[in-house]
Amino acid sequence: MQEFKSIRDLPEQDYFTGGSSACAGCGPSMGLKLALKVLGPETIIINASGCMTLLPLYPNTPLKASWIHNAIENASSTAAGARHGLDMLGNRDMNVVCYAGDGATYDIGIASLSGAAAKNERIIYICYNNQSFGNTGFQWSTATPYGSETKTTPRGKDNPIGTTVVNKNMLKIMGAHRVYAATASLAYPVDFLNKLNRAKERDGFSYIELLGACTAGWNYDPRLTVRISKLAVRCGMWPLYEIENGVLTLNKDFSELKPIDEFLKLQGRYRALPQDGVDRLQSLISEHWTELKEYNGLRYV
Amino acid sequence: MREEELPYKGIEGIPIIKEPGSAEKINRGSWRLVRPVHHSEKCTKCKICYTYCPDAAINWTPDGPTINLTSCKGCMICVEECPTDAMTEEKEAT
Repeated sequence: MQEFKSIRDLPEQDYFTGGSSACAGCGPSMGLKLALKVLGPETIIINASGCMTLLPLYPNTPLKASWIHNAIENASSTAAGARHGLDMLGNRDMNVVCYAGDGATYDIGIASLSGAAAKNERIIYICYNNQSFGNTGFQWSTATPYGSETKTTPRGKDNPIGTTVVNKNMLKIMGAHRVYAATASLAYPVDFLNKLNRAKERDGFSYIELLGACTAGWNYDPRLTVRISKLAVRCGMWPLYEIENGVLTLNKDFSELKPIDEFLKLQGRYRALPQDGVDRLQSLISEHWTELKEYNGLRYV
Repeated sequence: MREEELPYKGIEGIPIIKEPGSAEKINRGSWRLVRPVHHSEKCTKCKICYTYCPDAAINWTPDGPTINLTSCKGCMICVEECPTDAMTEEKEAT
């Protein structure tokens, strides 16, 4: 298996072209472009309804790989069906990849995802997590972090915090299915593509969760997509780790995390979050980070 | 796999896009307010702009990056991330 060492080593061919209808500075679309560098044209991408559904608009597509769009709840079952069909035809080399948002992963599609993971189907599931139902206008999902403002959890007199529900720990859920589960960030493309390469070689289900910064929903200047993704990792909001056979490995370890303020102040969705909300978010993040440090190299789930 | 090799000859009524990458010719340049400009004398060919472009508007050649202004939506990630200031922004004529 080829291990990339730096950005210069990454493959030079692109199977993704411009001209899509994604926003300028779209994180998930950058993630798909990077993923296709490793996956290649012999790939079927199964998409659950979401922002990325609007990439191929009939009669044009920015992709140079196959694409199936199905309903929001059954991307994993469609992928499992495609995998079985290909296996029946004797085609073992074609990659079957799900590319679904966090609404389709955390909330609506978790039943079919859990089913496919429990049966250890040979598919790669990439969740582009923009921490909301982004396509319909940034509504709350169970991936939305504490303190974020969304269209359905607006800040106001009665509720100055915005989202008061703490987001799900999806990696732990997927890790408990005894599959390969990992987080990835756009700011660390080498780490992301190495994980994807690893998932491609595996004979079983792989789950990769990518933090897809959303310029429209998170409300920031499009030029900051990569900087915000990097700050999410450095502040501990989005730690990079993987779980295989229940054992946790921390991929990016820092002796000290940056204060969460640096990540929050760049985004409009955290504007006017009161100090007690920031402190609570900081304590949630520190708690998660301490847990990850404690279990690094050990059985986590 | 090509279409004629498939056991099913296609299902009626489902829109199937047959030309891969056909969106490349669509002009998204009109979305842009500022455009990136590359200065090859400052460029160290680190590939950072090419890797981070969300619209694959930066193509890689042995001489460095070339910008496809038909696809560039002007997000300026390349300008922000360039470590040597080899990418600068310029206002579009309106």
